[in-house]
Amino acid sequence: MESTLAMNTLLFLGVAIIMVPLARKLGLSSVIGYILGGIIIGPYVLKLTGKDVDDIMHASEFGVIMLLFLVGLELEPRKFWEMRKKILGLGMTQMVLTISLLFLIFISVGWKTDKAFAIAMCFALSSTAIVLQTLQEKNSFKTISGEASFSTLLFQDIAVIPILAVLPLLAHSKAKHNENEVQVLIQKLPEWLQAGTVIMGVVILILLGRYVFVPFLRYVSKAGMTELLTASSLFLVIGVSELMVSIGLSPALGAFLAGVMLANSEFRHELEAQIDPFKGLLLAVFFVSVGSTMNFNVIAEDPLFIFSTVFAVLIVKFTVLFAIGKFFKMDNPQSLFYAFALSQVGEFAFVLINYGSDLYLFGEELNAQMMAVTAITMCITPFLLIINDKLITPKFLRGIPEEQSDFNILENNITQKKIIIVGFGHFGSTVGRLLKANKIKATVLDRDSDRVKLLRGYGFKVYYGDATRLPVLRAAGIEDAEILILCLDNSGDNKFIAELVSEHYPDVKIFVRAKNRIDAYSYLNNGIDNIYRETLGTAVDMAVDVLHETGMRKYAARRLGQRFMAIDKASIRKLAKADNDDEIRLFTTKELLQREEELLAYDNLNFDGKNWEGSSSSAEEDDDENKD
Amino acid sequence: MKKTLVVFAHPYLEHSNSNVELINFYVRHQHFTLRDLYEEYPDFHIAAFRERKRLKNYDRFIFQFPIIWFGMPPLLRLWIDEVFDRSWLEEGVENPLEGKEIYIVVTTGGKERSFSKEGTYQYTIDELISGLIVSLKVFKANIKDMIIVYEANKLSKKEIILHKQKFAKLLDQ
Repeated sequence: MESTLAMNTLLFLGVAIIMVPLARKLGLSSVIGYILGGIIIGPYVLKLTGKDVDDIMHASEFGVIMLLFLVGLELEPRKFWEMRKKILGLGMTQMVLTISLLFLIFISVGWKTDKAFAIAMCFALSSTAIVLQTLQEKNSFKTISGEASFSTLLFQDIAVIPILAVLPLLAHSKAKHNENEVQVLIQKLPEWLQAGTVIMGVVILILLGRYVFVPFLRYVSKAGMTELLTASSLFLVIGVSELMVSIGLSPALGAFLAGVMLANSEFRHELEAQIDPFKGLLLAVFFVSVGSTMNFNVIAEDPLFIFSTVFAVLIVKFTVLFAIGKFFKMDNPQSLFYAFALSQVGEFAFVLINYGSDLYLFGEELNAQMMAVTAITMCITPFLLIINDKLITPKFLRGIPEEQSDFNILENNITQKKIIIVGFGHFGSTVGRLLKANKIKATVLDRDSDRVKLLRGYGFKVYYGDATRLPVLRAAGIEDAEILILCLDNSGDNKFIAELVSEHYPDVKIFVRAKNRIDAYSYLNNGIDNIYRETLGTAVDMAVDVLHETGMRKYAARRLGQRFMAIDKASIRKLAKADNDDEIRLFTTKELLQREEELLAYDNLNFDGKNWEGSSSSAEEDDDENKD
Repeated sequence: MKKTLVVFAHPYLEHSNSNVELINFYVRHQHFTLRDLYEEYPDFHIAAFRERKRLKNYDRFIFQFPIIWFGMPPLLRLWIDEVFDRSWLEEGVENPLEGKEIYIVVTTGGKERSFSKEGTYQYTIDELISGLIVSLKVFKANIKDMIIVYEANKLSKKEIILHKQKFAKLLDQ
């Protein structure tokens, strides 16, 4: 079939749209859906794809680079440093043990040393894309096994670089030398400098990150155009990976480091929001192309070899991971999840095996076979995880009693909740400062890049981003946030975000700044209870002081003030309810005056001397219903 | 089951393990209503009318609080000042406390020996919280029992369980 790039893209996207919801419905990971979709349109089922699938696959490998950029963004250098023991401990042990065991097995079945070693290295890696996707879908980043998986993957991602360096050595320089122009720049350097390129590349990146990227993004953000930020995000990622390629480093590593460098900057959430859709799309295409390039002839020719290899690889990886899990004192369910989740061969194997073939390390047949092994292990993982979830883990959990004692209902009341503050002007920063003074952490979003810069100087964790856009809120973590604090000056934006969030994430508790009563009515009618009128508290304080000035004792004035607030809050709830029938009310000046009148009448009813002094009355019943 | 209102006052609850665990007892039983005064009136503005109306709905009251500097917590004192109403004693006015069963649960870090005529402090707990006791008596409430938990900061889990069992026995009538 004649195929153009557009046609292919159409096919890829189409099959993804059909297969992924199907896979999700069956409880499978979306990755499986993509790969199955790829197989269906591939040359062995529907024969829809043409020759340029390889090109598409290469193009979509960029998705992996973006994934690593995002992984880097998630990982601040400080956190990276804190995790160094875990990363080294888990990652290194896993790599060394897996490589040695696989190597021994391959040697024992009579492979050549170089081949066995190369393939053992490729197969020791697990799939960042699959595992991260799974962790995200299961929301288990913060579990012990989730963190362990993440640390191990991180080490593996970094280990790709030395493997890329070792493969040519293994090939005994029988490689065709012009395989890509990549090396050109290095070779122009004097010999003694070549060794240092890795270090140099990293140093350059760090300097760029600190002195170029952030000021550059600040400059762009001042223009205030969303699409410009998208453009510059893409520009950054593609630019960095190209730069890395030109100095002979892995673009994935470059993207990862660039991510880490920007993780501390105020643009973290905005960048995440910008890159995420591209990453998702490219990864989807990548997985589909993996499926469509699966060579079933190779499997059919020697199924025994393929499947025994798959089996051996899975067993070795699982055993090593499980042993590491137990060694690092994870309990059984956690170790099991860790071992099953990372038991597949990762997408980097595709890249590495292709590279090995270019170096004449593997023949064409072995290449195809190894590709098939990799793809099969990737397809098996989700099924293994389902088996683990449904059959194995429950067995371990059965013995554990659910509630240990009746002592802890009220214990540990103060927990770190995930809080997002939107708007960090005079109002929001007061909220943030009080929280910070009590060591409650919050993610802060603001749209003014100058202010963000200033506040960052004072040690606040403030990010640049437009919170009226859902992707930005998602990047800031609205999905697992518990509290959202809206402190924007523009009440229209506050309202918009409140509606957006309560529609998409009804579990998030919203605290909102309201300009005045009219604002408060509309929030109340939208089911938001935590409303803070900026005109109430200060005005009452003022009135209390004026009362004192007229000769009233301070305590009496203060009590009247507090009572006034209670009645006012109750009245606003009443009047808002009366308003509820009309859909959207735009108050005319006349209506506003009418409102004021109602309010004054209400005050008189509730505030007359008899009620204040004496016995229970209707006014107090109102008070009773409204406990604010 | 008697409908019971627990009037609980503790300004530093987050630092008191024993009180947290003791009030868990009430939370688990439906016919107890726990009123945590410091949680409800953090700014010391007591809705007196609401409180008075509520008192009428209960058959039994438990006052639980720690001794702070040899007295009851200031918010409980204020609660009494604001809520108790002399007019309850007038003829024809309903007195929400009359004849109602009262239990008083007091915790203190001090030793039992210290709170005696011969001890370090020379005053008994009864004397230190006499303001509450006399007020209740004025309104003809029926003070059934006073439970004093001494050295409350050193209670072991076992002792707390024992206390809870004692409560359950006393209150489940």
